[in-house]
Amino acid sequence: MANDGGRKQFWKRSGTKVPGSIQHVYGAQHPPFDPLLHGTLIKPGSKPPTTPVKLKKVSTFQEFESNTSDAWDPGDDDDELLAIAAENLNTEVVMETAHKVIQNHSKLQEQHKFLEEHLQEEKQVESAELTSVACGDNRLVKSVSEGHTSSSSGNASENSSMQRSQSLPQTSTPPLVSGMADFNTSVTPALTEREASRLDKFKQLLAGPNTDLEELRKLSWSGIPKRVRPIAWKLLSVLLRKHCVFLARIFLVSVFSAMKLVMGYLPANVDRRESTLQRKRKEYFAFVEQYYDSRNDESHQDTYRQIHIDIPRMSPEVLRLQPKVTEIFERILFIWAIRHPASGYVQGINDLVTPFFVVFVCEYIEEEEVENFDVSSLPEEVLQNIEADSYWCMSKLLDGIQDNYTFAQPGIQKKVKMLEELVSRIDEQVHRHLDQHEVKYLQFAFRWMNNLLMREVPLRCTIRLWDTYQSEPEGFSHFHLYVCAAFLVRWRKEILEEKDFQELLIFLQNLPTAHWGNEEVSVLLAEAYRLKFAFADAPNHYKK
Amino acid sequence: MSQAAMSETYDFLFKFLVIGNAGTGKSCLLHQFIEKKFKDDSNHTIGVEFGSKIINVGGKYVKLQIWDTAGQERFRSVTRSYYRGAAGALLVYDITSRETYNALTNWLTDARMLASQNIVIILCGNKKDLDADREVTFLEASRFAQENGKRIRSRKNGLRYSVWRCCLETAEITTKSTSTKCSGMWVLKKQNTTSNIFTLDTEAVRANGV
Repeated sequence: MANDGGRKQFWKRSGTKVPGSIQHVYGAQHPPFDPLLHGTLIKPGSKPPTTPVKLKKVSTFQEFESNTSDAWDPGDDDDELLAIAAENLNTEVVMETAHKVIQNHSKLQEQHKFLEEHLQEEKQVESAELTSVACGDNRLVKSVSEGHTSSSSGNASENSSMQRSQSLPQTSTPPLVSGMADFNTSVTPALTEREASRLDKFKQLLAGPNTDLEELRKLSWSGIPKRVRPIAWKLLSVLLRKHCVFLARIFLVSVFSAMKLVMGYLPANVDRRESTLQRKRKEYFAFVEQYYDSRNDESHQDTYRQIHIDIPRMSPEVLRLQPKVTEIFERILFIWAIRHPASGYVQGINDLVTPFFVVFVCEYIEEEEVENFDVSSLPEEVLQNIEADSYWCMSKLLDGIQDNYTFAQPGIQKKVKMLEELVSRIDEQVHRHLDQHEVKYLQFAFRWMNNLLMREVPLRCTIRLWDTYQSEPEGFSHFHLYVCAAFLVRWRKEILEEKDFQELLIFLQNLPTAHWGNEEVSVLLAEAYRLKFAFADAPNHYKK
Repeated sequence: MSQAAMSETYDFLFKFLVIGNAGTGKSCLLHQFIEKKFKDDSNHTIGVEFGSKIINVGGKYVKLQIWDTAGQERFRSVTRSYYRGAAGALLVYDITSRETYNALTNWLTDARMLASQNIVIILCGNKKDLDADREVTFLEASRFAQENGKRIRSRKNGLRYSVWRCCLETAEITTKSTSTKCSGMWVLKKQNTTSNIFTLDTEAVRANGV
C-alpha cells in the first residue's frame, strides 16, 4: 500500500517532510483564517522550501504535475493499460470515439453558451457586492497570501487569491468548540450571489482545454456548485492519483501499486475526457456481461441475496424504491463485490454509491428535486453512463478505504482508536465524560467510519462533505478522522448534559442533524481542518 | 430534566441483546417493542443500535437496555464485543429462510459463550405474515428449542402482545433471580443453571421494498 508511509506517520509527518509537502500548503486559505493558529503554528517560510529535499528533480507537486500532465492519464492500472493497447488497434472504435468526442464537445460548448447567458444578469447584480467583499477582506487576503508563501505555487495569481478570499466569509464563523448556536443566521440572497460567482469561477476553470487541477481542488475545498459537480467529481479523482504517483516517485515504490490505490477517473485534458469515459463505461459493461450472470451461482448467491435485501433498506432513502435504481445498484454492488473478494460486499458500501449516483443524475435534472425525479424517464444510454461512472467513482473511493471492510474491519478499528486518542487530546472533558459513563467509541463511531457519516447527516451534507474529501489528499481515509472528531466535539454541550450510558448512546446515534445544510458542513470542515493542522503534526500536543 | 428523573425510576436494569442473521427483522422487532408500531422503512443496522424501555414486572420497574446488533457476518467480530453482561437475548430467524434458521446454533453458542451460560434466550421466528413462503415450521423450531433449552413456552397470539409478553416473561424470570453487579451496571442473573428458550412466531416485518 503506497500510503503506508503516510499512515505510519499519522501523528508525525513533520519528521520526514515530503518535498513540496502537499499536506498543509494549499488548504490553509480555505478554512477560516485563524490568526492565532497561524501566528503560533506556521512560521512563514519555515515549511517545505527549507527542509532538505530528497529528490531535487521534483520539488513541488505543482511542478511535478505540470511535468507529467499526461504521462499517466490513460492508464489506471496494468489491466487498463493492456485494455488501451488492445483498443488502440481497433480503428473502428477509435473513429467512433473520435466522433463522439466531437459531438460532445460541441454539445458542451452550447451548454456553456447557455449558462453564460443565463448568468449574465446574476453577474451584474453581484459585481457590486463582489468588490465590496474583496475590499472588506483586504486583511484576510493579505494574511492568507502570507500564510501561503510556503507554497511555491507559481500560478497563484492575484486573481485567484481574491477568489479564495471570497469563500472565506462563508466559513469564518466562530469555531464550534466555543458557542455554536449562531452560525445558522446566514442571509440567503447573499449566498445565492456568492454561489453564482463561485459557479462562474468553476466554469472558467473547466472551460479551458486543460483543467488546472490544483486550482480546481482549491476551489472545490469550499464546496462545488451543483451544476458543475458531476464533472468536477470525475476530475478530482485524477488529482488524487497524481499525488500518489508523485509520492510513489519519492518513496520509490511501485507506481502501479500506488496508482491502483487511488485510481483516477478522468484525464485533465478535455479532448481525452470523453474517450476515457467511453472506455471506462465499456469496461464496466464488459464486467457486467462477464460476471453478472453468476449472481445465482452457489458461490455468489449469498452476496447477491444480501445486496438484494439491503438495497430497499439503504440510507439515504432518496430514490431507493424505484425499481430502475434498485436494478442499477444491484449491478454496481455485485460487480464490485465479485471483483474485490478480500472484502466482498459489506453493509454500508451500498450507501456509498448513492452520492455519486445522485450527483451524476443531477447532471440531467434541471430544476426538479432529485427526490421526486423518476429515474426511468432518462434515456437508457444516459442511465448506463451514470451507472458506469458511479461504479468507477465508488470503486476508486473504496480502494482508499478497503481495509474498512476486510475481515475484522481493521481499518475501522484503527480509526476508532485514533479518534479516541484524538478526542482525549482536543476535548478531555468530553472524553472523560464518555469514559465515566462507560461509553465506548466503537459503540457510536463504528458507524461513522463504516458509512462515512452518511447515516449521521442528510444526503445534501454528505455530498458537500465529499466535495472536500475529494479535494483533500487522503480525504476519505485520513481527513475523515478529523471530521469525526470535530463532529463529536460539536455536540459537547449535549453530551455533557446526558448523565446516563443509554441516553448518551441514544443521543449519539440519533444526532439532530436533519436541518443541516452547507453552512453547518462548512463549519465542521473548517474545524476539522484546524484540528488536523494543530494535531496531526504534533503528537504530543495537549497530551497528558 | 424530567426525562432524567424518569429514567431513574426503575428497580432493575438489564441488558438485552437482539441477535440473528441479517435481514431477519431484528430492528423492526425492536422498533415494534419500543414504539408499539410497525416501521416498514427501517435501515439495515451498522454495528449496534440502542433502544430502551422501562416495563413493569410484578410491581417492579425494569429498565431494558436493548442492544440491537448488525446481523451481517463481516460485523461479527465487532458485535461480539457487545455481548458481555447481557441478561437476555432475542434470537431472531426468518421463517421464510432456512439459512437464517440453520445459523441459530452458532448464534446460541456465541450468546452463551460471550454473554453468560445462563442467558435467557427468546427464540423468535419472524415474518409470520409471509406464511405462504414459510420454510421453517413452528414444530421444527419448537424441537430445536426443546433440544437446546430446558423449558419451552409458545406464544402464538397477536404480534404486539407476543413481543411485549415475551420480554415481560424474560423480565419476570430474570427479576426472580438474584442480582449481581457487573461492569458497572446492574444486571440480573438467573439462579438456577438451566437456560430457557422460548419460541415465538411473529410477523414484525411486512415485506419490504415492494
